[in-house]
Order: sequence, then structure tokens, then C-alpha cells
Amino acid sequence: MATIAAAPTYAPSTAASNTGMWSWITTVDHKRIAVMYLYTSLFFFMFGGLEAVIIRTQLIAPNGTILNAEIYNQLMTMHGTTMIFLAVMPLSAVFFNFLIPLQIGARDVAFPRLNAFSYWVYLFGGIVITMPIFFALAPNAGWFGYAPLTTPQFSPGVNIDYWVIGLQILGISSLAAGFNFITTIINMRAPGMNLMRMPIFTWMALVTQFLIILAFPAITVALIFLQFDRFFGTQFYAIAAGADPLLWQHLFWIFGHPEVYILVLPAFGLVSEIIPTFSRKPLFGYPVMVYSGILIGFLGFGVWAHHMFAVGMGPIADTMFSMMTLLIAIPTGVKIFNWISTMWGGALRFTTAMLFAIGLVSLFTIGGISGVMHGSPPADLQQTDTYFVVAHFHYVLFGGSIMAIFGGIYLYFPKMFGRLMNETLGKWHFWLYFIGMNLTFFPMHYAGMLGMPRRIYRYDGGQGWELFNLISTIGSYMLVVATAIFVYNFFRSRRSGAIATSDPWGAGTLEWSIPSPAPEYNFAEIPTVRSRYPVWDIKSSEHGAHEIPHGELGEIHMRDHSMDTASTEVEPAPKSAKELGIVLPNNTVMPAIAALSIALSSLGLVLMRNENKTVGVVWSVVSAIMIFVSIYYWMTTPLEDEH
Amino acid sequence: MTPIHRSRQRMTAVALAVLLLTLAACSQEYPNSTFHTNTEFNAAIDHLWNRLMFFGTLVFVLIEGLLIYAVFRYRRRENSPVPKQVHGSATLEILWTAIPALILVFIAVPTVRTIFETQADAAAGSLQVEVIGHQWWWEFRYPELGITTANELYLPVGRTVNFELKTHDVLHSFWIPHLGGKRDLITNRTNYLWFTPDTSMATKVQNGFCAEFCGESHANMKFRVFTVTPEQFESWAAHQASPAVFGATVPAAAPPAAGTAADSAAPAAAAASPAGATPVMLASAGGFTFAEADLPRYARPMTPIPASIRRLPPGMTGDPVRGQEAYQSTSCIGCHAIAGTPFNMANIGPDLTHVGSRTTIGAGLYPNDAEHLAMWIKNSRAMKPGVVMPTLGTNEFDPVTKLKISSGLSDQQVADIVAYLMALK
Repeated sequence: MATIAAAPTYAPSTAASNTGMWSWITTVDHKRIAVMYLYTSLFFFMFGGLEAVIIRTQLIAPNGTILNAEIYNQLMTMHGTTMIFLAVMPLSAVFFNFLIPLQIGARDVAFPRLNAFSYWVYLFGGIVITMPIFFALAPNAGWFGYAPLTTPQFSPGVNIDYWVIGLQILGISSLAAGFNFITTIINMRAPGMNLMRMPIFTWMALVTQFLIILAFPAITVALIFLQFDRFFGTQFYAIAAGADPLLWQHLFWIFGHPEVYILVLPAFGLVSEIIPTFSRKPLFGYPVMVYSGILIGFLGFGVWAHHMFAVGMGPIADTMFSMMTLLIAIPTGVKIFNWISTMWGGALRFTTAMLFAIGLVSLFTIGGISGVMHGSPPADLQQTDTYFVVAHFHYVLFGGSIMAIFGGIYLYFPKMFGRLMNETLGKWHFWLYFIGMNLTFFPMHYAGMLGMPRRIYRYDGGQGWELFNLISTIGSYMLVVATAIFVYNFFRSRRSGAIATSDPWGAGTLEWSIPSPAPEYNFAEIPTVRSRYPVWDIKSSEHGAHEIPHGELGEIHMRDHSMDTASTEVEPAPKSAKELGIVLPNNTVMPAIAALSIALSSLGLVLMRNENKTVGVVWSVVSAIMIFVSIYYWMTTPLEDEH
Repeated sequence: MTPIHRSRQRMTAVALAVLLLTLAACSQEYPNSTFHTNTEFNAAIDHLWNRLMFFGTLVFVLIEGLLIYAVFRYRRRENSPVPKQVHGSATLEILWTAIPALILVFIAVPTVRTIFETQADAAAGSLQVEVIGHQWWWEFRYPELGITTANELYLPVGRTVNFELKTHDVLHSFWIPHLGGKRDLITNRTNYLWFTPDTSMATKVQNGFCAEFCGESHANMKFRVFTVTPEQFESWAAHQASPAVFGATVPAAAPPAAGTAADSAAPAAAAASPAGATPVMLASAGGFTFAEADLPRYARPMTPIPASIRRLPPGMTGDPVRGQEAYQSTSCIGCHAIAGTPFNMANIGPDLTHVGSRTTIGAGLYPNDAEHLAMWIKNSRAMKPGVVMPTLGTNEFDPVTKLKISSGLSDQQVADIVAYLMALK
């Protein structure tokens, strides 16, 4: 594999207008926004990981003393909230932003400024929800925030205020991005790219965006009820007024279960790109992969109450939701068999990205099997709210989402930064993750089935849980070491990694036909697509070059690196957008200001309830004016210069 | 050795390791293991679990086996040609849609049957137990027997017990892993859960937990379940239904008339116990109870005591009669009820009628002995985060208000109250 790194091509350079802090704050380029998403979400991933490691250290032995109950509960809540909303979802958004336009042959997303707005809302929402932990005031009722524990009667403090507000801000980001990507995928595909030629990652991204726009309204409703209960004295969840706490649970899980697929479908998409690339074979059963993804998304809305088998819904409801849950195993199983079949008969290259993808297939299988186990309600009554469930969803989210996301980072790093990540360090990263992940989470299956409840900050000795907890904690330290290796590799490769060619992996989809890093305009000429793997067609067909004019001036600057042929030719640096006469959207700071104002206005509510009413009202009104003004300027400024 | 061989061996090793660990999980070292058939409820779950585990292992071995085989078999070799570009196979894809569907049928059928079996109404004549969750302790009532107690359940073996699950505040979940699945306690709703401990469970103790996150001390909301013979249960119940007695020798507990026990409890009987009588603290006098010394290791609380609480001076002994006076003249009566005394109306904290007969305090956190009880009374907030009970000991530091208590109970008063409560067998 070393030879793929040997080709010196053009040195990645950036135009003067593209440097400096201001250019990042005002950028509307989907690739730069993706990079900002990448840094921010990796930061939050490590922050959430740090919370997890502190939790694991507390639980290394019975009656741990490094945390008290309150701080443990805050860390536990923030670990879940951070990983789901601030790490894994935005890590997927890195690839939505970066890849969707590149894979469909577009110059940017449909609404570039809305895209910037999504990022800034995510950043400020993340700050709002994370900041209180530094003052030991973080949300402390679990990431699921069950009423009535979150009502002012039982949680009078400011903690839950931040949670209610932060999640709503983050919801704005996800929804804006969701509509943006749907519009992009539906409308901006290159000529010839019909839906069944669309790369599978983009397909899974499309399904995910529909899940987001359909699921987030449910949690928004739940949160607005809670917000009104907390800030304005309504009684949606007030038990003294006769509220039914199941209202929260149903609304939350109607969002919460599709959320699982929001977290994992993009991962499935990435793996469906990685495995064909490194097997040098098209994805096995592409149409079935598409349909199973759609089916998973569809069924995902009918299974929410399997999180609630212990609440006493009655046998009919339990049966219904159990059957739906078991059904989901079928399309998921099909995906796994199809990935293995893609590898079957291929020429497998075990790059770091491929290892992570194989890691997903093997680990997600375990999470899927334990998922079927909870799908049987009577069995679930022994499993739910125990460490068995903790083991299950970490196999799904770490073994699934995180493995694929890191695979995706290794795969797309060259297209983002023009350099390759170090493969040796990458393999250390993978193996430590793979072993560490199993050490951390597999013993939790045992702890749970041996009676250990979740969300407890301490436990007695002599309960038969000591060994499993000890192993889990050691495993978590291994994950820390691996993550440190990744971070070192990331920054080192960013600076001095081997220069990447346009197609360092010998992949087949459109994004590999353009130079690395991708020029700001993506495609000098919008390509015409005739198949699912156009780049492979060019390499294996003499006619291909004429069918897919997409290089600058219609030429194809591409060589076949898939067979490790060392190339010493120097690729010419791509021309600038100006030279090619391509008009790109102008930078603007307005989306960032609008996002900041939204976060600030929400903080006004917190002030109103907890500090001073007048200050809070004034604060909110001022930020509301800022929102209005920034959106006004945003709307009245043309997107691009006149042609 | 071929790669196929190697991978097969690995698979066998993994399967064996999983099997061994599963077997180990059934041994005595795991007191809260769910792999039991101690009740018909748990037997039904165990049956389902075995089936799920069988098919799960089958699928696991199949998928991981194929994956490992593919990894070793199709590794790219020097000068491998471009592989045959296979796009799919309808036959295969139909096959691996149909086979999982078939497996799921084998899971779904017993699942549905078990759902309806376990959620049917409890058999007539079951022992009724009302479970009321509080942040963070358990109130247990036996309405037919007129018993109210806290954090410790006595259940006769061989008789179905029907739990009526309610909560006073937030959501909780009632779970005894050794005896069956859990059921949530939902505000403004009533849930039911029933099972029958089989006779092999006689004179045994199980741990119970709150399984739904319920706030700060969720981890500290535990309880004990004593499964006893019907005779032991009769003896225990008869005594628990009687009003608080301390001081005078207890007459052989007469079986109370069911349902009227509370009425027959003449309030003055115990309160007016002759001041001169020597307090007798005999467990035997109070009907059957599980002796603390008999508790197995897993049922003994091992929560460390916070160093900040000052212990009573060594050698200080309390007088239960003075203790009763102190109890009745301080804030204790605002929250705790003791049946048989005039101060029997509060229901904020656990009922203390027979508190001396219990093995633990603080919802399974500490052993119920004079030392721990004294520290609890002095500063329960330091011993269990979030408790409502105020810090009462003079010169104790209240961890919530961050204030030192200047006019609380003196050490002697605490010792007296402890003596009184310990005498309430």
C-alpha cells in the first residue's frame, strides 16, 4: 500500500482569500463547512469520551469514591447527550456535507448559506448544552430526560433548563440541514445520475434526512411542552395536575428510535462505499441495499415503544411493537449478508478504512443479535435498564456508527486535505479500538444479565459484578490510547502525510474523479453519469473517457492506482474558479450571527427563570432583534455576484 | 494449517469461551443472576432466553464465520486480476431474507404466548402487596394483613404474590432479578406484576433494585426480599400487623383479624407502656424475622460510612424510654409513623412501627445497628445523597444547606432515640 502514497502531485495550496479565521467564519463552501464539522464533532467526541472514562473509573471497583451521585448523574447525562447530539450526528454530518455534492456531481449544496447556518447553530447549541458542566450545573436527568423527573417539581435547578434549550437549538440545526440535503439530492444530481445510479452513501444520507425531518418534530413537541412547564408554568407533565408521564415517553421515543437509525444509516452508507472499493467489486445487490435502507427507515417509526416494554402498556401493544422490532432484523440482516457477499470473490485490500468497515460488520452483528433479544418483551423485562442494554447499544453505536465514521475519515482524509493518513498508525488505532471496544462492552452483557442496573454511580461488592466492571474500565483506557494515536496521526498527516492523488484508493464513485483536495468548485465541468461506478468504467473501458467529461477542459487527469502502480507524474494544480469562469457563492457572516443570536436568545430564557426577570427579558428581546436583522441582511444579499 | 482451519478453530474457541462464561454465570457467585427458574415468571423468561441465545449463537457463528472466511480467502494477492464484477443474486438475496424471517417466527410465537401468559391477571387468592416508590426508598403494604413496612419484603414460598405498583413521585422500576422481570412504577398509574416463588426458595434472601433512573440517589434505592416458609411468614405477618410494642414482654403474637389489625391497635397500648418496665429487645418476641447474622454476604450492605460524621462517644448507651420522649418531642414525628402511638399520621418517611426488626436502613444502604442508626439520625444527608430527612445532630455539617447544625439533637438524645427505635422489634 505504501506506493499509493509515493506519488507526488501538486502541493495543496489555498488561495489567499481562503485563509484566516474570517474566511472560516464566513465560508459557505460545503467542504470547508464539513471540515469545521469534523473538528468540532471530534472535539465533542473526545469530550464525551472523557466523560465516559471518568464514569468507568468511578465504576472500576465497588463503592467508587471519585465522583459523588450528583456529578456522576451529570456526567452520565452529558455523556449520552454529547455522544448522540454533538458527536455521532455531526460526525455523520461531516460526510453529508463533504460527500453529497461530490458524489452527485454538484458544485455545492442547494442552500449554501443555510448549510453554514446549520453548522453555527450546532456549534452554539453544543456550547449552551456543554458549558454548565464546568460549573457542576450540567443536565442530570439522563439523556432521555423522563418526565416527571425533569419537571420543575423534581428538578427545580437550572440544569434541565440548559438541556431543554440546548436540544431545541440542536434540533434547528438538524432540521435545516435535513431540508438542505434532501433538496440537494433530489434536484442537483449530475446528468445521467438517476436514483438507482446514486452512490449508496448518498442514498443512506437521503433516507437519514427524511428520518430527521420526520422524527425531530416529535422531540420538539415534547421539549416545548417541558419548556413551557419549566418557564411558563404550564402543566403538561405536572403529576399533581394528573399528567400522564407516558406522554413524554411516547413523544421522546417516537423521536428516539428513528434517532438510532439516524445515527447508524450513514454508517451503513460509508461501509457500503468502503467495502466495494477495497474489494474491487461493485456493491452486491445494490437495489436491495437501497430498499433495505428505506425499509429500515420506514419500520424505524413503528417500533418506538420497544423502549417501554416495562411501563405496562398491556399485552396487545407489547405484541405489536415486538413484532415490528423483530421485522427490522430482516432488512438489517440482508445488509450484512450483502456486505459479506461484496467481499466474496473480491480482491481484498486491508487498508485501515477497510479494517474499520469489516469491524462494523462483525460488531454490529452482535448488537443486532442482542437487539432481537430485547425485541422479545418478556425477555426484555430482565434486560431493560440493565448493563445488558448498555452493552447492546454500544455495540450498535460504537461498533456500528463510530467504526464506520473512523473508516470514513481514513477513506476521505485525502480528498479533504490532499494528504494520506499514516496507515501503520491507523492500524494501531483500529486494533486498539477493536480489542478495547470488545473489552469495554462485552463484559457489560454479563454484568447486566447478572443483575446490575444502569445509571448507578456505585454498587456493593459481592454482587458478582466486580470482574466485569474491572475489565470494562481497562478496555475504556485502551480506547483512550487508541483515540490519542488517531489524533496524533490526524494532525501529523495533515501537515506531512504523503501527498494524495485524485484517486488514491482506486475507488469507483464520482468524488474520486476530481483532484485531491477537492477544488473549491468541485467539478470543473459537470460530469455525465452512465453507471454506479463511473470511475471504474473509465479505467476498464476505452470509451469511458468520452462518456464522462468531468476534468477541467474535458480532459481526464486520472491514472489507475488501484493496482499499486507507482506514479511519479506530477498532476498540474487545478485552476482557480476565476480562471475557469465558475461563479461561486459569496462568503457571508450572517448565518453565523443568526445562529449566535438564536443561542443567546435562548439563554435569555434561562436568565429569566433563574436570575433576573428584567435582564432576561431585555436579553431575549435584544437577541431576537439580532436574529431578525441578521436574517434580513442574509435574505437581501444575493448569493452570488452577477454573472 | 489453512486459514479456514485457523478461523474455524478461533470460532470454536470463542464459542467455548462464551459458553463457559455463561455457565459460570449460573453458579453461586452471582446472587442477582437472572438465569433462574425460581418463579414461573422467571422460568418463562429463561425459556425464551434459551431460545434467543440458541438462534443468536447460530446467527453469530454463521455471520462471523463467513466474514472470517472471506477475509482470509479473498485477500488480494500479487497480480490478482480485477475480480469478476458480480452485481447481485436474486436467489441468494431471497434466501437470506427468508431464512431470518423463518427464525423470527420461531422467536415470535413463544414470545407472544409468554406476553399473554405473564400479563394475565394474577390467580385468585394471591397475596396482595402494594409497592409504593419514593425518592429513594420503597414502601411495602400488605393491605389484607394490615402491614406497612419499608425496604424489606417477606414473601411466602409456594404462594403467588401480586404486586400493585405505584409511585409517590417520579418513575421507578421494581426489580428482583432472581425472581423475575421488572415493572415500572408510573406516576398516576397502577401497574401489576405477579409471580410465585417456588419452595426451593424457602428461607432465602434476594436483592431488589430500582431499575429506572429516578434522580440523585437512584443507585441507593435498593431493597431486600426474604422468601420464607408459609409458617415463618405467618409468624412474621402476625407480629408486623400488631402495633409497636416495646418494653413489656410481648405476649405470643395473636393472629390479627385480617383487615382490622389497624383498627384493633389501641393507640394507648404501647405509648403508655409502664415507664418502669425493663426494655426487652428480643427478636424472638417479635415473630419471625430474618436475623442479620444469617444474611449472606451479598445481602449485607457494604456502603462506606462518610468520614465526616462524628460517631457517638464510645460507651455511650441510650435509654429507650427517654428516647421515646425525645422522639415524640422532636421533628421525627413530622415524617415517620409508628403504629400504636399517638403520633401515627405522617407518611413522608418510612414507617417505623417495627423498624428494629429490619436488617438494613436507608433503603438497603447500611446495616440496621445502633452505630449506623445513630449516624443516620445525626446526618442522613451525608450518608445518602438527596434524602429529605434533615440533618439533626448538633455540630453536624449539613451537606445541602452547607451550614453547621447549632441546635440539633445532642449525642445523648441520639443514643436514646436509637435505643428506642432498636427496641421497636
